Amino acid sequence: MKKVDFTLNGKSTTIEVEDNETLLQALRERLNIKSVKEGCSIGECGACTVLIDNEPHYACLTIASKVTGHDVKTVEFLGDENLLHPLQEAFIEYGAVQCGYCTPGMLLTAYSLLLRDQNPTDTDIKEAISGNLCRCTGYIQIVEAIRNAAGICKCSS
Amino acid sequence: MLPEFASVVPETKEKALTLLSSLDNVKVFAGGTDLLVKMRRGESCSNIIDITQISDLQVISGQGGLIAIGAASTHKAISTHTIIKSQASSLATACGWVGSPAIRNMGTIGGNLVNASPAADSLAPLLIHDAEVLLESKDGMRRMKVEDFILAPYKTAIDARELLTLIQIEGLTGYREGYKRVTKRARWAISRLSIAWAIKEEDGLYKDVKLAIGSCTPMPFRPRGIEKSLQGKVKSDETIQMAIEGILEEIKRISGVRPSFIYKIPVVKDLLLEILRG
Repeated sequence: MKKVDFTLNGKSTTIEVEDNETLLQALRERLNIKSVKEGCSIGECGACTVLIDNEPHYACLTIASKVTGHDVKTVEFLGDENLLHPLQEAFIEYGAVQCGYCTPGMLLTAYSLLLRDQNPTDTDIKEAISGNLCRCTGYIQIVEAIRNAAGICKCSS
Repeated sequence: MLPEFASVVPETKEKALTLLSSLDNVKVFAGGTDLLVKMRRGESCSNIIDITQISDLQVISGQGGLIAIGAASTHKAISTHTIIKSQASSLATACGWVGSPAIRNMGTIGGNLVNASPAADSLAPLLIHDAEVLLESKDGMRRMKVEDFILAPYKTAIDARELLTLIQIEGLTGYREGYKRVTKRARWAISRLSIAWAIKEEDGLYKDVKLAIGSCTPMPFRPRGIEKSLQGKVKSDETIQMAIEGILEEIKRISGVRPSFIYKIPVVKDLLLEILRG
C-alpha cells in the first residue's frame, strides 16, 4: 500500500492505495466519488476525465499514487444540487445532458478550457472536447452550452 | 482491473537508472497511455518505474542549433513550446494532433518512441530533424539515430536496463516546414498517412528538401536519394513529378504492393504535389 497526499476538490486528502490501483478506482471505491465514470477503461471515451492541476486526464490510465502533491478536481468541485456552476446550468438549458454518462467528464473538460480561454471559438470548444465521447447528443447541444456558459462565467481556479 | 505489480515513482534520473538495473521484469511508465492499455489486454510485469515525476526529463532546451527534448516531455508541452514551434514546427503540429487533449497531457515523446507504432505522429517530424535518442543505463550511455533505434513496428533497440532519457533534434530555420496527415475523422484519430516536410528554396531553386512519410511503410522513412536529387534543381512541375514518381517507387520497393495502396498511393501523390509546390 502507498500513502497518497493530494488536494481533492480544494481539500487536503490522504488515502492509501495499492500499487496497481488506478485513480479511477481510488476515487470511486475509496473516496466514494461516483461521478467519475468507468467507460472504456483504455483512455478513449473520456467518461473518467478528471482535472489534474486543472488539465484533463483520464483517471482510468492514471496510477493513483502519482497524484501525490497534485491538485485533483472532479465535477463535485463545480457545484452541488443547491448551487450549480454556470456550465452546469447551461448544460441543462441547452439539452446537453441526455443519459448523463459523459457529462461529468465533459463539464470538467469544458471548465478546463474556460480557465485558459474565456472566449473560445466553436473550433476551440470542439478541439477541447474531442477526447470526450457522447453517444446521445450529437455534440451540438454541448458546444452550444459551453459557448453560452463562456459568455456568462469568467471561470477562475 | 490492472494486473498486480509494484510501482515506484523516483524523483531523479539516477534513482530511476539504479532501479532499472536492480529490479526484475520491469516496465517504464512514461505516461501510461499505451502501457496500461496493453496491461489491460493481458500484458504483465512485476515492477513499474514511473518516470513522469522526474523534472530533469521534462526539460526542453535549445543550444547551438540543436534542441534537447527530455523524454518525459508530454505531447502538450512539446506542441506548445516556443523553441519547438519556431525551429521544429512540424513536430509541434504533430504532437498537437496526437490522441486527445487528455492523452496529450499524459503521453510523452519518449513513450511514443519506445512504443514505436508505425503510425506515431511524432516520427515523421523527428526524422526530418535528424533526431537522435540518448539511452542511459547505470553502466553508461549510447546515442542512436531514431531510424536505427526503431527496428520494426513496436520493436526498438532499447535494452531492458536502459532508459530513453533525451531526444536531440536539429532545429531548422529558413525552411518552410509542416506536417499533414490523413485520418478517418478530424480529431482523436490514428494517422492513416502522414508527411512531414522542411524545404528551403532560393531564386526558384530547391536548396534543401527534407521529407518523411509515415503510416505508409512499416517504419516512417525519408526518401534520401530523391531529396538529394532535388538539391539545386529548378522548382518546376517537371522536377516535382519526377521526384514524386521516385518516392512512389521507393514506397513500393520497401513495402511491396499492399491492398491499401489503391487508396494511399494517389493520396501520397497529391499531398507531395501540394507540399513540393508550396
